[in-house]
Amino acid sequence: MSWAYVFELIQNIMITQTGIPNLAIKEVFMIGVAFFFLYLAVAKKYEPLLLVPIGFGIFLVNFPLVPLMGFSEHGNPELIRAFYKYGIEWEIIPCVIFLGLGAMTDFGPLIANPKTLVIGAGAQLGVFITYIGVLFFGFTLKEAASVGIIGGADGPTTIYLTAKLAPHLLGANALAAYSYMAMVPLIQPPIMRLMTTPEQRRIKMRQLRPVSAQEKLLFPLIAAILIILLIPAVAPLMGMFMFGNFMRECGVVKRLSDTAQNALMNIVTIFLGLSVGATMQADKFLSWKPLLIFGFGLMDFVVCTFGGILTVHIMNRFLKEKINPLIGSAGVSAVPMSARVSHTEGLKADPDNWLIMHAMGPNLAGVIGSASAAGMFIAMFQ
Amino acid sequence: MNAMAVKFFWRFLGRWRPAVILATALTAAPAAWAAFGEVIEKPVPEFSRLGDRISAKLIPRAKSTSVQIQFSAAGAKLLDVSGMDFEKAERPEVDVKNFKAALFVIHLDSVTPGGEAKVSLTSDFFISSTQFYVFNETLSQPWIISDAVNLTLPDRVQELVVSVKDGGPLDSDGKADGRITLVGGPRDSFWGYALGTLFIRFFGIFIVLSILMLGMIFSGLVFQWLARRKAAGENKKTAAIAPQIKAEPKGPTGNCLDPAAAAAVAIALHLHLGGVHAPPVMDLSGPPPGSWTLHGRAQMMAERMLVFNRKNR
Repeated sequence: MSWAYVFELIQNIMITQTGIPNLAIKEVFMIGVAFFFLYLAVAKKYEPLLLVPIGFGIFLVNFPLVPLMGFSEHGNPELIRAFYKYGIEWEIIPCVIFLGLGAMTDFGPLIANPKTLVIGAGAQLGVFITYIGVLFFGFTLKEAASVGIIGGADGPTTIYLTAKLAPHLLGANALAAYSYMAMVPLIQPPIMRLMTTPEQRRIKMRQLRPVSAQEKLLFPLIAAILIILLIPAVAPLMGMFMFGNFMRECGVVKRLSDTAQNALMNIVTIFLGLSVGATMQADKFLSWKPLLIFGFGLMDFVVCTFGGILTVHIMNRFLKEKINPLIGSAGVSAVPMSARVSHTEGLKADPDNWLIMHAMGPNLAGVIGSASAAGMFIAMFQ
Repeated sequence: MNAMAVKFFWRFLGRWRPAVILATALTAAPAAWAAFGEVIEKPVPEFSRLGDRISAKLIPRAKSTSVQIQFSAAGAKLLDVSGMDFEKAERPEVDVKNFKAALFVIHLDSVTPGGEAKVSLTSDFFISSTQFYVFNETLSQPWIISDAVNLTLPDRVQELVVSVKDGGPLDSDGKADGRITLVGGPRDSFWGYALGTLFIRFFGIFIVLSILMLGMIFSGLVFQWLARRKAAGENKKTAAIAPQIKAEPKGPTGNCLDPAAAAAVAIALHLHLGGVHAPPVMDLSGPPPGSWTLHGRAQMMAERMLVFNRKNR
């Protein structure tokens, strides 16, 4: 055994078995991106529950030679690839998240004021405007639909639709959706102030009527029947959402409801975040496309907010009892951030005007609206 | 001078500068990004023959599920059908996006030399406005809109019937030799579809949520009516019981209290002696309360009630 042989052996080991010589600039850049999102999550507390696992997912998969997102020689998925394959490719995790969201949601404000459902529909304007906008940039119809849904401000819906229509855009879309959801308090207020007068912001709304337990119990059944009959493609999302809510309201399966709200939700959030982050490998992610998605995602949010407020203005033309247009912005689903933003803006205009309960109506309608928009897109491409 | 003009224009734009930059980017970029996603959505037809008919199974652009296109011929023998890469036929006057299915090379045999044959493409994927475009690279204008007849069949199936003359402009081999090579594909308007579906689906959401709203308003009315009826029934019961209570004679000693009063006295004594005090009474006078205020009050009342709850002690 000569020294030359030993050196060659060491060299081979260095090249084939360690990451250092294989580390490229683009991977270092992506690790930097991961640090940025971890910073946003930890230091700025922007959607930490999602951005921490997403950021860490980006961080992990951008080391060279790591067996995380690939397949083994026998075709078996590696660790995070397995989470991705069975959780996202099979569309399980977004639906399970909807189950948890349903179990967490009190539909009382929406049931008490069903008119707010129309606001939830109006706030989907951005979804469709963006859908057309990105087509001008050469995106395919499926890609355009998956980018458009970002404005619905609903993370699981975005992931569900993107995984179905344009899985190669999953990382960028999910990240854009969650980033902008975290930035709702920054994005929405200027648009809200631009689109309303101080008098309109001071409109006081009548107190919501009390909603009985039976009404709350029947709501998921009625809503599921109507929505699934009209848009069968949305059944996986809406079915799970309403099932979760039914468990909550029926009151006889408190343990299940509690699990769906807490333990199950937390577990799937970990796998969802890691899997989504892991799709952002340098060689796939570093292009102009994600930048465009981020740009259009922002526009999408803006137009959705605009659409919600505009819908309230139109409704006020016909309604005797006026609606405060500030709650229109809550039509983007981002629950409950956008409702809180409406409330805060209302308080700024009149410290005695409490809008939170009123804003929860369009906020919940936004969840149903964005899921419906996703269902429409899925049906379109079937 | 030019620099000054630019400077003036820049100042003139003022606060609209970002919008102008974005608009410029929007108009300049499409050409650069035109190829996004095309490779992913490239239709790859698989052919199978059943007697005289050849069937192509493919996943078209903007679809997730496969469709079938049946080929048949009249006045000739359908020899073979194969797929063709669009890149070979790409010209500035056509856009690949409009060809959602694929390009096909159709070979016909046993045609009367110089005669005419009819090629039929049948599918439920076509719509009444679907056209058949023919590509013949031997011509100076290689792309031709064929005057294909679009027939509507039962079960939402459309049939495109293309008449091809042996050696005519649609025949790519260009010879009247009893053989025809037809290259082309069904074409739909991409933007028509995109905009049409945008309109339909955006208003579709309004329709869906409006129907849900009507359902909820209706069920809300039913529940409110039931609640009123129940309350009225309870009021009646109370009214019926009240005189009986009044009429009840007092006991001989006069020490008998009704249960509600006894409970109230017991609670008062408990609070006084037990050291567990309810929070001080709040002043609730003032402007009419909003929903938030009432919610807060309800919570405070619920918290107060905790001191009455003896279950856990």
